[in-house]
Amino acid sequence: MRALPVSPFLLKRIVLFFIVWLAMAGVSVGDVIAGLVVATLAAWLSFALVPPGDARLNMVQLAAMAPGFLWRSLLGGLDVARRAIDPRMPISPHWIAVPTSLPDGGLRATLGSEFSLMPGTLVAGSYRNVLLVHCLDTNPGARDQVVAEEARLRRALGLRRAAPAHE
Amino acid sequence: MILDAITMVLTLGGLAFFAAGTLGLLRFPDTHSRLHALTKADNLGLGLIVLGLALQAGTPGNAIKLVLIWALAMIAAGTTAQLIARSALVSNLRKDDGDRTR
Repeated sequence: MRALPVSPFLLKRIVLFFIVWLAMAGVSVGDVIAGLVVATLAAWLSFALVPPGDARLNMVQLAAMAPGFLWRSLLGGLDVARRAIDPRMPISPHWIAVPTSLPDGGLRATLGSEFSLMPGTLVAGSYRNVLLVHCLDTNPGARDQVVAEEARLRRALGLRRAAPAHE
Repeated sequence: MILDAITMVLTLGGLAFFAAGTLGLLRFPDTHSRLHALTKADNLGLGLIVLGLALQAGTPGNAIKLVLIWALAMIAAGTTAQLIARSALVSNLRKDDGDRTR
């Protein structure tokens, strides 16, 4: 008989889905049994859709990012609301290109998702190793903001500092 | 009583941000600027409403469910914003190309 292919990553995902299930369904005996089945199936499906990559999620680092992220997304909402309501509508949309050393794919998309909630920036994909960032207003700090957030994400994902990307 | 008051303030604040996001959608001049308004203001609006309602949730389980809704909506907003931003950029470039060859 073949040993079941249970990797620690699969186990981690099962636990994660199980916790979410318990939060939604409750903790009676029936819920727990159904939850174990569903969490295992969901983890298996997620493995088929998103196989584990180089990134190892560091939950502590990720949790440490949360307050800063929430604070900046609060500022982002306030900033854009102010510009939308102001009768003069103070915006001057433009594009900047920011080199990234994140690998193409899910990680860049994650960084891009974050930036759609940060003040003043919006990512419209990347060309080669350059992120295409849309800025709502003249903001000299936007470039540094992107670089700093990328470094934070890199730490939370346990990625080693890569060589700087070529422009 | 105090909780009810906080809920009212938070949900009203949330509605204000949804209104501001909609105003941005109507007033801002191009697709990408409009996306700024929708994602950022609406995310904050939903966050405030979720916080306000979580105070009335009764059980921690219900509060967690509300926060989960917010988290999923945030992920969905971030993903769709990028998809729309990307396809709008590509179609803008195509249009520019068409103008140039004309």
